[in-house]
Amino acid sequence: MIDLVGYGAFFLTIALSYAIIALGLNVQWGQTGLFNVGVAGFVAIGAYVSGLLTTPDATGRIGGFGLPILVGWLAAILAGALLAYAVGWLTIRLRADYLAITTFGFAVTVQLAALNLESLTGGPFGMSFIPRPFASAAGDPVRFGLLNLGLVALVLLVAYFVVEHLTASPWGRVLRAIREDEPAAVSLGKSAARFRLQAFAVGGALMALGGAVQAHFIGFIAPDNYLPLLTFQVWTMLIVGGSGNNRGAIAGSVVVWALWAVSASVIGQVMPAGEQARGASLQIVLIGVALCVILLLRPRGLIGERRTVSRHVAGARRGERSGTMVATGRETPTP
Amino acid sequence: MNAQALIDGLIAGAMIGLGAIGVTLTYSILRFANFAHGEFIAWGAYFALALVSTLGVGMDPIGPFSFGWMLIVAAVLAALLTGGLAVLLDRLLFASFRSRGSATIIMVIASFGASMALRALLEFVFTSKPVYFTRELQIAVRLGGGMRATPDQLLMLAVTAVLVLGVHLLLTRSAIGRQMRAVSENPTLARLAGVDVRRVIRWVWFLGGSLAASAGVMSGLLVQIRPYMGFDLLLPLFAAAILGGIGSVPGAILGGLIVGLCESFAVELIGAEWRAAVGFVVLTLVLLLRPQGILGQVAR
Amino acid sequence: MTPVHPSVVLRTSALVAGYEPDLPIVKGVDLAVERGDFLVILGPNGAGKSTLVKAIAGLVPIHGGTIALEDEDITARAAHRLVGAGLAFVPQTENVFTTLSIDENLKLCAGVLPAALRAERIEAAYAMFPDLAARRAMAAGGLSGGQRQMLATARALLIEPRVIILDEPSAGLSPKLVGEVFETLARVNATGVTIVLVEQNVRAGLGAAKSALVLADGRVVHRGPAAGLADDPALGEMFLGRHAPQGWAA
Repeated sequence: MIDLVGYGAFFLTIALSYAIIALGLNVQWGQTGLFNVGVAGFVAIGAYVSGLLTTPDATGRIGGFGLPILVGWLAAILAGALLAYAVGWLTIRLRADYLAITTFGFAVTVQLAALNLESLTGGPFGMSFIPRPFASAAGDPVRFGLLNLGLVALVLLVAYFVVEHLTASPWGRVLRAIREDEPAAVSLGKSAARFRLQAFAVGGALMALGGAVQAHFIGFIAPDNYLPLLTFQVWTMLIVGGSGNNRGAIAGSVVVWALWAVSASVIGQVMPAGEQARGASLQIVLIGVALCVILLLRPRGLIGERRTVSRHVAGARRGERSGTMVATGRETPTP
Repeated sequence: MNAQALIDGLIAGAMIGLGAIGVTLTYSILRFANFAHGEFIAWGAYFALALVSTLGVGMDPIGPFSFGWMLIVAAVLAALLTGGLAVLLDRLLFASFRSRGSATIIMVIASFGASMALRALLEFVFTSKPVYFTRELQIAVRLGGGMRATPDQLLMLAVTAVLVLGVHLLLTRSAIGRQMRAVSENPTLARLAGVDVRRVIRWVWFLGGSLAASAGVMSGLLVQIRPYMGFDLLLPLFAAAILGGIGSVPGAILGGLIVGLCESFAVELIGAEWRAAVGFVVLTLVLLLRPQGILGQVAR
Repeated sequence: MTPVHPSVVLRTSALVAGYEPDLPIVKGVDLAVERGDFLVILGPNGAGKSTLVKAIAGLVPIHGGTIALEDEDITARAAHRLVGAGLAFVPQTENVFTTLSIDENLKLCAGVLPAALRAERIEAAYAMFPDLAARRAMAAGGLSGGQRQMLATARALLIEPRVIILDEPSAGLSPKLVGEVFETLARVNATGVTIVLVEQNVRAGLGAAKSALVLADGRVVHRGPAAGLADDPALGEMFLGRHAPQGWAA
């Protein structure tokens, strides 16, 4: 029983930290239509910045600076926002998928930096002794787990209300207008780009915060935690939950993380010991196929957006005649 | 500066360029960045590997090269199979999005999911352990100026040149090439001109998949075969395609060579561990300075 | 089912069409174009003129009714297969491939013809438009607006269509060029090609056409000979009497 509570708290804490990241992605994609393939990069930035600032002095690398956890988290938010702003600034005036490619490259580079800048990041061995909240309670696993769960839930709740508030504000309405109607966005001109850039920075900040929270809960980070697989998991969470819907993003995170954990344990039991790595790849195949199937069958996600969904998703439905490329999406303005 | 970096860069660049041709064609005709393109490279290499190892004949090296005639047969079959795989992926996934008029970015997400699934499937079947077409050792030939290259490397450069020339002629001289260019410029008008856009799209996928497979077999021969070989090339591919100008085949190969050379010089100057970041740096510079690419037209 | 009328080339019956199923723009149009006719479709902004011809050409989803080309039902036929059936459509803008040469533009369209006919038809097109013949290898992007319209018309004629539909060919051209375009069309019509034309420029359209059809709010409000309609006070009423929502692109 105690084991179960402990495991449940652990599971939910991780799931909710993913939810913070998914919320950030929702601000970028769900609300604004900006496609970020470099989620892992922003998460890593948050984790490493906070780790660097809060770990005790370590031999063999610069820092840590032993600062309070809260300072680390705030710095993570700032770093995520600034880097997202910089990446966005570079590409946001260009085609939508250039942003995707650039963020992808950004994540590759961040991971590479984590691996190679040993004096800053600890290199392939990563960064350990990241202070955990409520460390004094670590002797009582259940209490410790529940306290941490409470803290992550609180952070998520604050993030949720901030994002909800932003979504309902005039700022959020402008973002949705831009997403729904590219010509309107064009007529807004420069200010449309500014709005999108702001949204991209807010999203990047939340991702970094999520990364920092995760790092402090686990207490240890390494470059391998921030592979493209992470980006892919967060995307699946958002798509499953239904992009555009903040509660959906949270629910999607819990559902996908649960599926991930269950499938991992099933594969762990079914596959022989020597074949565990194979089992892990099978897991990715299944999730990848699931993502594609959901996009095909339920493009609004399992929960869906409360308001109107982009009319581009609905589209034309007339056999061969209307067929190929009647609507090539946002690039062809409907006459 | 080491002159050897020039040869290494050219060889890496040739493979990037071959892959980038597929990226640039699918991008300009289907209007989305296909994140699954790198997987065609890996699948091509593994198709060839599976064929070579199951058939198990014709393995004795030909002349100065490290491989037997079976690899040539396997490479051609792998190109056809991978082309078919690309067409199948389009049929199962992207065609549905097109017919319902989904936003292009939905297709980008789907391609990202497909990329994950395709690569993990390779890992599942073949494990992530690197494998090789051949264990033959090759003696590098002196080319003068302190440069050396193995016969395999020189042959691959020549094959790349032939393939690129072939694609260029196909696009500029043949009816299907004309149709591809027409669809790339204006799909609606192409339909009004009697072009079967679906057929053109199938051809583009097939061509892109086959070229990627060729790059995969070459990379497998010159370096090694592993499930991540294509995914790790994805960023250089995109960088090369954008650098060359989306839609331009000569641009893609030129972009590939430039990215390959930059990588090779970066390895020389900074260190091999930073190689993967070169694509990002090139991409950033292009987007800052000349987003339409070297040979591209101003974005439509 | 309407009986097949041997002299009717193109017929629509109760045609309903629009980009969204629940928002039809064409709301039940019956149209019959006689062989050899030169029909101009007029109407206020938003009447659905362009949508009507695009629906016929297979570019806009159809939600009801039928379209027939002579005795063939083409309602569900894909746009690229209509060309081979003898229906040519020239869109209003972007009606040539700017990155292809003039020759390639024509060769591309000749693709639907039997191989033996292609070269001959292309030469015939050049004979009709000598301006184009002089610039075969030039990228069509370098052509002027009038020349582009010429190339677009030449490409449409290449298949010897049973009917050629043009969507506002005069849009964006200078008055002098508008005159040239209509002269060309009259010349084409004189060779026996049936023409359907959507036109904003009422006087120029009526001056060139033989018969006219007026649309308002997606429905036919008038059909009859073109001659005299320009001076008919009823025409003004047709344009002004019904208030189609402004700002709707037709």
